[in-house]
Amino acid sequence: MESNKKYWKGLEELQKTPEFVENNKNEFSEDLPIEEVLNGAGLSTATPRRDFLKALGFGLGAVSLAACQKAPVIKSIPYLVKPEEVVPGIPNYYVSTFNGQSILVKTREGRPIKIEGNPAGLLGNGGTDAQAQASVLDLYDVSKLRGPKLNGANARWSSVDSFVRGELNKIQAGGKKIRIVSSTVNSPSTKSVVADFVAKYPNTKHINIDAVSYTGIIKANGNSFGKAVLPRYRFDNADVIVSFDADFLGTWITPEEYTKQWVSNRNAKSLASKKMSRHIQFETGMSLTGTNADSRIPVKPSEAGLAVVALYNAITGTVLPGTQPLSNNVIADKAVKLAAKELVAAKGRALVVAGSNDVSTQIIVNAINSALGSYGTTIDLDNPSNQYLGNDAEIVEFVAEMNRGEVDAVFFLNTNPAYDYINPKAFTDALAKVKLKVSFSDREDETASLCNVIAINHNYLESWGDQNAFEGYYSVVQPTINPVNDSRQAEESLLTWIDAPVKDYYQYVRTGWEKTVLAATGKTWKDVLQTGFIFTGAKPASAYTFNFDLSPVVASVVNQSKTLAKDIELQVYESVSMRDGKHANNAFLQELPDPVSKVTWDNYVSIAPKFAEKIGVTEFDLVEVKAANGYSVVLPVLVQPGQAQGTVSIAVGYGRTKAGKAGNNVGKNAYPFITLSNGTKQYTSTVTISKTGDTYELAQTQTHHSFEGRNIIRETTFKEYAKNPGAGSGKKIDSKEYDLWNDHDKPGHNWVMAIDLNACTGCGSCIVACNVENNVPVVGRDEVRRRREMHWLRIDRYYSFVEEGKSLSEESEINNLENLDNVTVVHQPMLCQHCDHAPCETVCPVLATVHSSDGLNHMAYNRCVGTRYCANNCPYKVRRFNWFNYWNDSRFDNYLNNEFTQLVLNPDVTTRFRGVMEKCSMCIQRIQAGRLTAKIEKRKLKDGEIKMACQQACTANAIIFGDANDPDSEVSKALKNERTYYVLEELNVQPGVGYQVKVRNTVEA
Amino acid sequence: MRRISLTFKSFVKSSLLFLSLSFACSSVSYAQSAAEGVTLFKQKCTSCHALNQKVVGPALKGVNDRHKEEFLLKWIKNSQALVAAGNPEAVKLFNENNKVAMTPFPELTDDNIKSILAYIKEGDKPAAGAAGGVEGGQGAQAKDEVSDVMLGSIVVIILIALGVVLVLNRVIKSLEKVSLKKQGLLEEEEIVAAEPGVPAYKKLLKNKKFVFFVVLLLVIFLGSAGWMGMWNTGVHTGYQPEQPIKFSHQLHAGINKIDCQYCHSGAYKSKNASIPSLNVCMNCHNYVTASDKYNGQTSPEIMKIYKALDYNPDTKKYGDNPKPVEWVRIHNLPDFAYFNHSQHVKVAGVACQKCHGPVQTMQEIYQYSPLTMKWCINCHRETEVKYKGNAYYDNMIAAHDKIKKGEKVTAAVMGGTECGKCHY
Repeated sequence: MESNKKYWKGLEELQKTPEFVENNKNEFSEDLPIEEVLNGAGLSTATPRRDFLKALGFGLGAVSLAACQKAPVIKSIPYLVKPEEVVPGIPNYYVSTFNGQSILVKTREGRPIKIEGNPAGLLGNGGTDAQAQASVLDLYDVSKLRGPKLNGANARWSSVDSFVRGELNKIQAGGKKIRIVSSTVNSPSTKSVVADFVAKYPNTKHINIDAVSYTGIIKANGNSFGKAVLPRYRFDNADVIVSFDADFLGTWITPEEYTKQWVSNRNAKSLASKKMSRHIQFETGMSLTGTNADSRIPVKPSEAGLAVVALYNAITGTVLPGTQPLSNNVIADKAVKLAAKELVAAKGRALVVAGSNDVSTQIIVNAINSALGSYGTTIDLDNPSNQYLGNDAEIVEFVAEMNRGEVDAVFFLNTNPAYDYINPKAFTDALAKVKLKVSFSDREDETASLCNVIAINHNYLESWGDQNAFEGYYSVVQPTINPVNDSRQAEESLLTWIDAPVKDYYQYVRTGWEKTVLAATGKTWKDVLQTGFIFTGAKPASAYTFNFDLSPVVASVVNQSKTLAKDIELQVYESVSMRDGKHANNAFLQELPDPVSKVTWDNYVSIAPKFAEKIGVTEFDLVEVKAANGYSVVLPVLVQPGQAQGTVSIAVGYGRTKAGKAGNNVGKNAYPFITLSNGTKQYTSTVTISKTGDTYELAQTQTHHSFEGRNIIRETTFKEYAKNPGAGSGKKIDSKEYDLWNDHDKPGHNWVMAIDLNACTGCGSCIVACNVENNVPVVGRDEVRRRREMHWLRIDRYYSFVEEGKSLSEESEINNLENLDNVTVVHQPMLCQHCDHAPCETVCPVLATVHSSDGLNHMAYNRCVGTRYCANNCPYKVRRFNWFNYWNDSRFDNYLNNEFTQLVLNPDVTTRFRGVMEKCSMCIQRIQAGRLTAKIEKRKLKDGEIKMACQQACTANAIIFGDANDPDSEVSKALKNERTYYVLEELNVQPGVGYQVKVRNTVEA
Repeated sequence: MRRISLTFKSFVKSSLLFLSLSFACSSVSYAQSAAEGVTLFKQKCTSCHALNQKVVGPALKGVNDRHKEEFLLKWIKNSQALVAAGNPEAVKLFNENNKVAMTPFPELTDDNIKSILAYIKEGDKPAAGAAGGVEGGQGAQAKDEVSDVMLGSIVVIILIALGVVLVLNRVIKSLEKVSLKKQGLLEEEEIVAAEPGVPAYKKLLKNKKFVFFVVLLLVIFLGSAGWMGMWNTGVHTGYQPEQPIKFSHQLHAGINKIDCQYCHSGAYKSKNASIPSLNVCMNCHNYVTASDKYNGQTSPEIMKIYKALDYNPDTKKYGDNPKPVEWVRIHNLPDFAYFNHSQHVKVAGVACQKCHGPVQTMQEIYQYSPLTMKWCINCHRETEVKYKGNAYYDNMIAAHDKIKKGEKVTAAVMGGTECGKCHY
């Protein structure tokens, strides 16, 4: 099938608004004031002779002074005693753990500069998420405290210790409660420290609270099967996946692991064996997972529960008492029945997940999965996940305890309830009644600023520790740098305050491991420090059957639905880039565009186009969103195709007020919209929306380039693919090709890249990996609005329609559509294509960009004079112009404008000066380093030895890089794939990056 | 007019004198070192011995009086053989020194050892002489032959120009004389010339040709100086900052022949050759204190190492207040140029001296090469790639052979002059 589907990047492109057409005429959003200079007073005023002479004299003087400049005195300070393993200029890699995932930390001269996934790790396939990639920047955050604080003043550790000890002893004598409040702790050593603390002060209780919790699933499993755990889902075993609002590729529980599993049934290897899973998504807002689903059906939050019940009915062929029909959403009703058929057909290889935190909904999901025989195959309850252990009821009880004055001491570890509790005000008021408040935060955040003591904790890159992300999977956290600030590890602080016999936390962790995991597996501590983790083996996952009466549960779901079905329904969600807001001060994450809306630096009210029209709001209108509980925020509107009608979505993680320079007052806090129902947090609510009359322009990256309807995206369906693997890749026009340029000889290597659009989920971790690796600066909200973001690699998101199972190709048909609900999305990573006949090269007047003998398009920054002709001539719009010295300009005081944070820069890559073009270099520093290693070892370069930063970060393995001159290389094989096409190949610029057609497993077509 | 030519003559004379002087200066060659013993002593003995101080072995002053020469010859070549053979003198000596065996030196000839003994007998006197001689040889003469040739040719051109001007002057003068004579005005002219009280320089200033010539010379001189200045902005050839420790490469690399990579171990494996950390210094300077030069005291420069490490040479213990040494970087490549030592040293096998100059003769290091891009590129264009025996290059050489048979495979041919290979 030749794709003649119409794609569009955003609504403005679809509707061809005059502003959009005007804006896209030009390469750069703002004209340089050349006209002004030429027509205004600029040239007509004669320069007086004296001024001319002054300028001339100054110029000459300055030049001669510059010429007299002596060699600068640059100090070179070697080690006094060099550690044996450190060679300046050569990176060292250490294993560690970030959020349960085993990682490698690349250090240069003793400072961590890059995070990479542990290729052997069990969670990420060697890839990582954007948070892990960006986390290295948190180490060099200047907004952190330099030392501990006692009662608001800087203090010494000794005085902090004696204060806390004294207070604790008094509290112990008083007999009131002590609470340790933390986000989920799955570290065996930390747990043991807490246990030691409890032993010394028996009034202590440890509470796990998660800003975004999974209590609903845990409780439901407790009710249904007597196992109150978060199961391990196995998307790799599922042929049919139905998800209700669970963004499992973006944010849900452990998205990296799920991406790895999900992609294994959809990647090139799976397609070659004619296998592809089918994924149906019912959801409110357009999530990353929704964009990747084969079929996506928008449902309101009030309908989601009903749809789950309807699915149960359709699968079991019964009608549960009290069932409400999905009468308001005919499409969803139809889709549920179709999904049920497919699920039943795939019994034992089917999986249904729901993102809802409602226990009743989750119990029905359990019943469905039990009916489908998922337990033991696609759901593993015997090797549960420990990533989220929080119990929503506990934090509520804790606030009540404080309110009643029963709590005398509280310790906050890696948690910030003053920001992310559902009612921050109630929490703050209650906390004021506590005598001893200790925070282990590394900065004076919302909660820490209310505490007597801030016992600043190490960054995870400075810490020892361990984690146990799921049953049997133990990974180690090891420091890669000496503590930068006068911080102390939280566990060590606790050990000090209880006067434990072993206060050194390293000893503590090591002894703990040697006694337990190491003793059980016969491995040594050194083994762990080399491999990063120990997997003690999975228990066999057994089948569980659900046999309870569902009628009370259905009643609860229906009830819930009724309360929601009024006004405008609100869905609160985690955004892929900001997640729960803990890393809000990370500029890399703030500038990572949302995978769907492409908005940076803000949260917003997502609203469907048709519904926006109905309530009379347009894009960027500032609206007041008011919830039933009285909380209201003013946020800009973002018109989002695919959003369910009658609903709005707002992301949490924004609106921090005490995060630091970059993160303060970015967006608004959406946590207070979360309501509590049946003992769990509900991420849905009802709101009213009123226009304020103002507008606010969101900084989006998506509308910055137009593609004029060219055939850039190619996709097909699995059915077509099965008939003809080359389907949709575009016909080869049978004509003679003429080249204007001479061919380049590539005697050695020919570096090329293959990107599988069917594997790419669009998550964006490659973007952050590229930023960190290549010192790509963060430009800030205003500059993004001016289309000046510097990302070398972007992920383009294209919309198209599916209406009644047909792709729409005619513009008139699109205009006639009632609403824009049924959009499908394709993500396309776009980076310099390293064309063999690069149009940019021919227009550079100073030969700053030239071709190399190994197929790369080189960019010599120091030669560039900034004419920007190359960017104008680039058909892919991947060249970025550097408008400012972002690392040394007080106007861009986001993060890099200080010597400390600059330590995060990759020393092998220059920081570009303002006024030059830059673009993807194909990580040439990595190519050169890899070649050099081979040369030194006098051997041939191995395929896969050199990895691009983006490739390395990709859990889905969507990006393959290698040498096209080697016929056996992975990339050569990938490019020989029938699905391969080149973007704009009709221009005959001969790009070096090949894409593989997106395949959608749609049933109807 | 005669006066003018006289002035020119003296100018030419003085400049010739200056030139010959400067040539003489640069051709000073330092005297052949007579004291072979000093060199040998430094190479072989100083890691365990000093003249006036016990280090590992005993102080050597007066060793000629304590032992007979035949004994010493045998002992130095292989002391343990003597001990094992039961030589009473040897056994006694061995026991006196806590039974620490002395390294055997079978490679030393009798004459070698005699010269060492002679040096020990002479004591400090010849050492001071030798050191003085060595120091005379250093200095930052521009060893750039190209610039010498250019300077010479410029001088020659100026001289020729002067000659032409002089000849033309003569011709013009005689022609003027002839014409004046014809007009009968010569007498008057001579009177004017002989007129007293008019200073010579005023006359010179009135001579338009002279003024023009001087201005021309000035313009040429300033213009070329400016041009050269502009070109060499940021080029710091000869840059020789003062270092915190007066470390002599001449002594370490030249006389003691320590391999460059012993200290600059990064050069083989990393982009940085790296300045050695002080524990590398201490490998030798734990014992070597150069006390023979400082009346039995440890050399003040070596003391700086001890101080930096907070090391007490008497107790041989390290304190806990070390302070790193802040060397001044000499070779400053701009940030936008990536350079990797291991590529050049390990893969290409380029000798350190190719870029760093005769380090083994430098008392203090200075920048030898201009480190300009032109300089890099020239070398890449000329240097053949060492591809033999390196499997990495196999494919490339095979492909290359097809394209350009028989031509030299230089770094440039391999893509070594492409922008992105160094600028990223």
